[in-house]
Amino acid sequence: MQNANVCINSQTPLLQFLSPSDGSPGPGWGDTANLAELEEGVDYRFSPGGVTRMVYPLVRRLLARGILDKTHWVSLNTVGPRVVRTDGLTLHNVALGPQRMGGYGKTKEAIWSTVHGLETREPPDDLFWSEEFSEYAFYNRTTSERMRKLDAQVDFDLFYIHDFQQMPVGQMLNSLKPKIFRWHIPFDAAQIPENWRALFVNYLDNYDVVVVSCDRYLTGLKMLGYRGRSLRMYPYVDPREYRRPAKSVVAATCARWGVRPDDIVVLVVARMDPAKAHDRAIRAVARLAPSYPRLRLVLVGNGSFSGAKGGLGLSKSAQWRAHLETEAQRLGIRERVIFAGHVPQDALDCFYERSLFTVLPSINEGFGLVVVESWLHSRPALVSERAGIVELVRDGENGMLFDPDDIPSLAQKMCELLDDHGDLAGRLARNAAGTARACVIGTAARAEVKLMEEVIEA
Amino acid sequence: MFGLPDWTTPYLFAAIILVLTWLVAWIASLVIGGVMRQSAPQVAAGARRLGAVVVWLVGILLTVQEVGVSIEILLVVMCLFAIAAIIALRIPLENFGAKYFSDVYSPFKVGDSIQVGAYSGKVIEINAMTTVLLSEDDRLVALPNSLLLKEALVNASPQAWKELTIPISLPGNVDIAPLESEILKSLAKLRLRLDKRFPPVLATKSRTAQSTDLVLTVMIRRPEERDALLLEVNKRVHDAIQGIRVRGTSTMPIPLEAVEKPSG
Repeated sequence: MQNANVCINSQTPLLQFLSPSDGSPGPGWGDTANLAELEEGVDYRFSPGGVTRMVYPLVRRLLARGILDKTHWVSLNTVGPRVVRTDGLTLHNVALGPQRMGGYGKTKEAIWSTVHGLETREPPDDLFWSEEFSEYAFYNRTTSERMRKLDAQVDFDLFYIHDFQQMPVGQMLNSLKPKIFRWHIPFDAAQIPENWRALFVNYLDNYDVVVVSCDRYLTGLKMLGYRGRSLRMYPYVDPREYRRPAKSVVAATCARWGVRPDDIVVLVVARMDPAKAHDRAIRAVARLAPSYPRLRLVLVGNGSFSGAKGGLGLSKSAQWRAHLETEAQRLGIRERVIFAGHVPQDALDCFYERSLFTVLPSINEGFGLVVVESWLHSRPALVSERAGIVELVRDGENGMLFDPDDIPSLAQKMCELLDDHGDLAGRLARNAAGTARACVIGTAARAEVKLMEEVIEA
Repeated sequence: MFGLPDWTTPYLFAAIILVLTWLVAWIASLVIGGVMRQSAPQVAAGARRLGAVVVWLVGILLTVQEVGVSIEILLVVMCLFAIAAIIALRIPLENFGAKYFSDVYSPFKVGDSIQVGAYSGKVIEINAMTTVLLSEDDRLVALPNSLLLKEALVNASPQAWKELTIPISLPGNVDIAPLESEILKSLAKLRLRLDKRFPPVLATKSRTAQSTDLVLTVMIRRPEERDALLLEVNKRVHDAIQGIRVRGTSTMPIPLEAVEKPSG
């Protein structure tokens, strides 16, 4: 496959614009901008998460190899220019007014929390009949109309649509062009309310293939009643993005966040969200604190695009962080927990290098790419049994598994690594290095290209 | 008049007649639209167009007469031409017209399994002249659209009775997003009467620079409410369209340079 024109669509934009370039509170970006003329950290930052870690490296790789030609990427972005051009890729920002954004945000959060099994009340039976849903439809229709107009100008070979927020786009596009849909969050049919299923299947039926992150989600799709083509493809990262800084740099960087030279660091990298269940790690550390006076828990991560001021502006990340701080205080280990917030990639590399091991405590997780990041830094990972990546983890061989509701078990596993006087950590890390190869871009890009070829040439 | 030469007077009146024609056509379109609020949006749009065409036809004839051309000969020629066209194109016109009405009033769509007279199969195409079925023995059957209005039609698709499909014709430049949002909001008020598992779906059937053809599908709960719901849904769709027209919509064009200039 060569010179394919592809239109990518994701809710989360690749770039989040920090403020209008002229410093004014209102629109100041103009209609189009060239990324080379903007400054990272001042004008924009890369969105944390899969969009930057996975989709962008893939696009750059395929552009560099001539597999992609004209590539357009349509996303939701409340701030910033309508169009941003960079190295063969054109980013299109779809803006919504505050009222529509509020309705859209509520609908997609309701879907998200229900699918993750986090909805404590009865699932909203009338969600797809609510006023908020009409805003969700408005956003998806606006996006699909933008993609349709671009198609009329560019003549795409393929539409590649990412994640549940964009599920209706395939139906709304009404295009005979090939369409791939990638579902990134967990897919457990049992979590999807009866009244939602027909609509989900109707939306998914409009794609040529639905890609999920692990094998058990394929079963979920079938149980839901989806009979179209589906495929499992593990998420992936580009190992070249991860570096091993010098020890002096690691020490200096970590010191800036209050990590002392003799601290034993346990690292959790996850955005501030109840589904990430940082509280489990805090409670486990609280159990171990008396026996390990130098033990520190570092929490790296901030709100997602949904929680960001320049994003959907939902407040759940701030609320969750406040809850965690209170919990740490209550357990008497507030000074043992460092809330590092969002850190740049070089600082993240330092935290990985500084840690003894990492923990992914999520109560439900689509995959868990941070585990792969940990492996790339040769750090063993303790992984929640409810993360998609458990398909790749063999307990005691290349990682350790735990039930996130069983805090004593988590504390026990942490103990094994803290008391490791043999080669447990080294063995886990060495074995995991081989496993990580299933989740790096080299392997995945071949699978992605093969899939695109099949769909385009079918 | 107004210090202008006498020979310009008829042309001035002709211009006034054209302006008045435009005004009357616009009012007629609004009145017809209002009267037909509960009709299918496509039928209402057709009636509005027909009303406007009639008004314009009369206006143009009056204008032609005003500038001194005899309209009697013109009328005779037009009538003869119309009769000849009807005789020559009777069958295509019959099918074309039947397609228009079967779109609105026949309860089937592409993908449904139907039976008409001795013919049955899955509908794979509905064009201006025929409805094409794929029969169970893999043969194509082209039914003239006029047959669909003459013969009893059986839709054998599961739960076909539940489905209300409302064709909607709009100008080509319309922004669908706010219209869809308004329709969904409005139909949510009927949710007790509709099947909760299937929220209304608005699909684009065809799109050109001149027109946008949409199909709204809603699923009802009780067969006996089908007729009443059809009227109510039509009315709500009509109101949503009017609401969008009154408020006006605009879609910003994509900057051409975004797709035409080399990147970098």
